[in-house]
Amino acid sequence: MGEVEDRKTAVSEARFESLLDTAADGIIVIDEAGRMLAFNKICEALFGYTSEEAIGQNVSLIMPPEFARSHDRFLANYHRTGERRIIGIGREVSGMHRDGTVFPLELSVGEATTAEGRQFIGVLRDLRSRRAVEQRVSQLQAQVVHMTRLSAMDEMGAAMAHELNQPLTALLLYLQAVARQIKAFHADGKPPSDKMLAVLDKAVQEAERASHIVQRMRQMVEKRDPERATVDLREVVNEALDLSEFVAQGATVTIRRVFGMTPIHVDADATQIQQIILNLLRNALEVAKESEERWVKVSIGSDERSAFVSVTDSGPGFSEDVGKSLFRTFSTTKKSGMGLGLAISRAIAQNHGGDLMADPGGNGQGATFTLMLPMHRADGTEDDMRE
Amino acid sequence: MYFIVEDDASVADALESLLSGAGLPVRVFASAEELIHSASLKPEDTMIVDLGLPGMSGSELVRHLEKAGATPRVIAISGKSSRTIARETEGLSDLKILRKPPAADWLEAITA
Repeated sequence: MGEVEDRKTAVSEARFESLLDTAADGIIVIDEAGRMLAFNKICEALFGYTSEEAIGQNVSLIMPPEFARSHDRFLANYHRTGERRIIGIGREVSGMHRDGTVFPLELSVGEATTAEGRQFIGVLRDLRSRRAVEQRVSQLQAQVVHMTRLSAMDEMGAAMAHELNQPLTALLLYLQAVARQIKAFHADGKPPSDKMLAVLDKAVQEAERASHIVQRMRQMVEKRDPERATVDLREVVNEALDLSEFVAQGATVTIRRVFGMTPIHVDADATQIQQIILNLLRNALEVAKESEERWVKVSIGSDERSAFVSVTDSGPGFSEDVGKSLFRTFSTTKKSGMGLGLAISRAIAQNHGGDLMADPGGNGQGATFTLMLPMHRADGTEDDMRE
Repeated sequence: MYFIVEDDASVADALESLLSGAGLPVRVFASAEELIHSASLKPEDTMIVDLGLPGMSGSELVRHLEKAGATPRVIAISGKSSRTIARETEGLSDLKILRKPPAADWLEAITA
C-alpha cells in the first residue's frame, strides 16, 4: 500500500517539476515559514541560483534587503490576522539577482492548503523589457512635445512680429515727424527744444531696439524654408495618426479614419501638416475622452481646387463665445495647454495657401476642425494671384 | 501730391504727420476702394500703399491703376515676410518697398 502511494507521489512530483520548468514565468512555492519548496528554471535564470541552492532557503534570499526584512513579518501577520495584502491581487515588486542587481517584477500569489500546512505559490514576471518599451514611448512623447514647442516658438516669433508691427511703425513715424519739427523749431531759434530732442532720441532708440528684436525674430523664421513637396495627403495624415496612436497606447478613444481610395496630391511641407493634424487630434482626443461615445473621426476629401482634412470629436461642441476667441494667439480653454496651437496651425495652413476652419457643433454634434489646402495642379500654377 | 492708403489708423496718421510736417501735400485713404472712388492720380503723384489692405489688396490696387493708365510712383509698405512680399508684388514694375517696422528714416526714403 505505502509503496504504491509513494510511487504515485513520485510520479505526480515529477509531473509537477516538468510543468514548473516548462512554464514561461518564474514560479516559486514557499511554506508558511517562507522557506522555498520549489524554484523553477525561469527563476534560476532570473535570480542566478540553481534550484538546489534555493530550495530550503528563506525566500528573502531573492529580495532586496529592505523587502527581505519585512517579508517574514508580512507572513506572520497574514498567519495571525488572515488579512491579505498580496494574495489573489498581484502587484509590482522588486527582486534581487545573486549579483545584487535589483529589478522590477510582477508578482501574483496563490495559496494552497496541504497536509504539511499552507503553501504559497508565487508567479513572477520580469518587467524589465516592458519598462524599456514604456521608456521608449515616453521618450517619443517628449520628442513630439519638443518638436511642437520648437515650432510654437518659431511661429510665435512670426505672430509677435505681426502684432508689434503696426504700433511700432506708428511710434517710429510719430517720433521721426516730431524730431524733424523740433529740429526745425530749433533752427529757427525757438526755445527750448534740446531737452525734448534728447528725450525723443532716447524714445527712438528704445523703439528701434524693439524693432530689431522683431527683425531678428523674422530672420530666424525666414531662415527655415519649409520643404515643399507634392505629397499624398492621405499618407501624411496616416503617418500622423499612427504616431499619435503609438504615443497614446492603451487610450480608450477610437480613431476612425474615413479616407477615399484615390491619392489626394497637395504641395506641402509634410512635417508642418503633421504638426497641424497632431495638434487637432490632441485637442479632439482630450474632448472625446470626457464624452460618452469616445471617438474621433478623421476624414479626408477634396474638390477641384481644395483638399480637406476634417477632425470631428464625439464631444458636446463648443459655445459661440469660445469659438470667437479660438484662434487668438494666446487663448486656451485648457489650464495647462498651449493656446498657441490653433493660431499656429492656422498660420501654417495659410502659409500653404490654405486655411483652418472650425465648426462649433453643439446640439449633440461634436466640434469639427477642417484643414483646407489647395490641390496640387499639374500645370504648375500655384494660385490665382499670378493669373 | 502724396496719397496714403493704409487701413491702420495710427500708422496712416503717423505717416501723414511725417509728410505734412515736412510741408508735403497729403491725402489719406483707409482702403483701395475709397481711393478709387474719390481720387484720380497723376504720374507725378506718389502713392504709399499698404500691401495687406482688407478688400482690394495693395498689389491689386497698383494693377488696377496701371490698367487705368494712371501710374503714379508707388511705395509699398508691408509687415509681411520677404517671401510673401515677393509673391504679392510679382510682375509689378518700379516698386519701392518699405518694411514695417521702419529701419530707417521713411521721409528720406519716400522723398528720395
